[in-house]
Amino acid sequence: MAELNILEFPDPRLKVMAKTVESFDAALKKLVADMTETMYSANGIGLAATQVNVHKRLLVLDVSENHDQPCVYINPQILDRSGEQISEEGCLSVPGIYANVKRAENVTVKAQDADGNFFEERLEGLHAVCVQHEMDHLIGRLFVDYLSPLRRNMVKKKLEKQRKTAAQEAAEHLVI
Amino acid sequence: MKIKQKARQNPRIAALLALAEVLDEHKSLADCLSLAALRASRDGALARHLTYGVLRWLTALEWLAAQLFSKPLKSRDRDIRRLVLLGLQQLWHDHTASHAAINETAECARLLGKPWAVGLVNAVLRRFQREQHALLERLEQRDERFAHPRWLLNEIKQDWPDSWQQILDANNRQAPLWMRINRRRADEAILHEQLRDAGFETVGHPFAKDAICLTPAAAVMRIPGFEKGWLSVQDPAAQLARDLINPQSSERILDACAAPGGKTAHLLESCPDIDLVVLDRKAGRVAQIDQNLERLGLPVNGGIAETRAADATSPKDWWNGKAFSKILLDAPCSATGVIRRHPEIKWLRSGKQVDAVVQTQAELLAALWPLLQPGGVLVYATCSILKRENEFQVQGFIEQHADAELVKTTVDWGTALAGGRQIMPGEAQMDGFFYAVLRKAA
Repeated sequence: MAELNILEFPDPRLKVMAKTVESFDAALKKLVADMTETMYSANGIGLAATQVNVHKRLLVLDVSENHDQPCVYINPQILDRSGEQISEEGCLSVPGIYANVKRAENVTVKAQDADGNFFEERLEGLHAVCVQHEMDHLIGRLFVDYLSPLRRNMVKKKLEKQRKTAAQEAAEHLVI
Repeated sequence: MKIKQKARQNPRIAALLALAEVLDEHKSLADCLSLAALRASRDGALARHLTYGVLRWLTALEWLAAQLFSKPLKSRDRDIRRLVLLGLQQLWHDHTASHAAINETAECARLLGKPWAVGLVNAVLRRFQREQHALLERLEQRDERFAHPRWLLNEIKQDWPDSWQQILDANNRQAPLWMRINRRRADEAILHEQLRDAGFETVGHPFAKDAICLTPAAAVMRIPGFEKGWLSVQDPAAQLARDLINPQSSERILDACAAPGGKTAHLLESCPDIDLVVLDRKAGRVAQIDQNLERLGLPVNGGIAETRAADATSPKDWWNGKAFSKILLDAPCSATGVIRRHPEIKWLRSGKQVDAVVQTQAELLAALWPLLQPGGVLVYATCSILKRENEFQVQGFIEQHADAELVKTTVDWGTALAGGRQIMPGEAQMDGFFYAVLRKAA
């Protein structure tokens, strides 16, 4: 297994539309394993293929307390949504930024597993939020796109500053 | 997607919780739940590193903090004071980039539910940055720089008037990761290859011939060969017990205070067909010995060793009347020789507790001596550097037992004293240890 590189906002590749997965082969299984590892090691609870620059309709998530229940959704579709919930979201592609986002409380999802078998699930709470958040990635949408243009711009500036200090920190470590 | 970490998953908060467990609840670091919760993660390693660092330099950090606060914090805000200690430790001893250390640390005040303190912690740490040169110079003039409690500092100075500073210095350094190779089981060619492939460098030891030092240190579960029972964690100083006992086939040997069973296992690895009786006072700790022996492929009870929970000072409860030809008494002690591995020892022990343990040691020696056959040897061991537990203890015992004689050991390690051999912490990269070999008149 390998850890993959996660694209960061405002990388234009995060805007690419993902394509339907057609072959459920060994390469796909390896991608699922690598994405799961990448998600865990970045302390995330969900990761879409788009974020690792693979433009296929595929996402992994694990919303369990002990991080021991990884799930994969391939070619996911939302069949039904109901209710409303607001929760604080963050994103591995937008490090350090958290904001409240309004989503459906319940969703019914149809998807395929890594062998291509179809399944249907009715989700609620954090699990439902996470699937909606990740499915947004597959159509090139980030949670910061729900913010006002002014706030989105602030986020962009904050990230630039973060990157600069991180680079500085790395340079200082090298001197030592 | 990502959600905000729970406060206790923040490595600095976890370190603060662990400090509270040690300093307020008097737990040892190994039992800290807040560190155990983060065990496998990268954050866990940072939390552990910070906790050990603060405990290693506690009084020095407290003195620095006291100079930086314009007025002392209320006692209910000791979490904030400890947060400052954590920040100071990073700025002073770690090579953490300063702005990261300061900001991340100050932000923890918010997670503690004390947002008012974010600015304060920030200001105090920045003041340290500006004034550290002068402050550290002043610290150099004070005993707080040794970061040892007063009673222990005095006792070490009194016992070792020529080398006390080296001892304190060694106590405040991080110990290397030493392991023992299970020569009965390990395929050494494969082991060395696997260690090398896993990125470890290995070095042997001049005195302990089964010892191997691994760098960089890592959690045991990540070390190839550990689960297969090829390796155990053990300091070379502790491995020297085997050489002094020098077990021979079918000898009847007692290991009197055996948990967690490192020396027990070493005896069995080097000579499996000894008639070994293994005791520890606490049943839970005996279970730990059984577990360790099992991992190493050394079957217990019905196999080659007999382990039982029993009080060694009360032989009538467990002894079958058959004399032992050798006894290993690895006595309970102050553990002042292993402070570099367990810095919390400095703050958990008191001079009075050492009085009590000295008494227990004397009782153990007196109770076990009659169980030794004439001509047999008793190896007395402690991981202490205090003379009242070591040299003085043994001399006192010999004075009261006409049939006891101190054997002059012909070894290259440690310093020969009137009552035994002392290894100083850091000497040949070892923990501080004491050994005395006593022979019973034939």
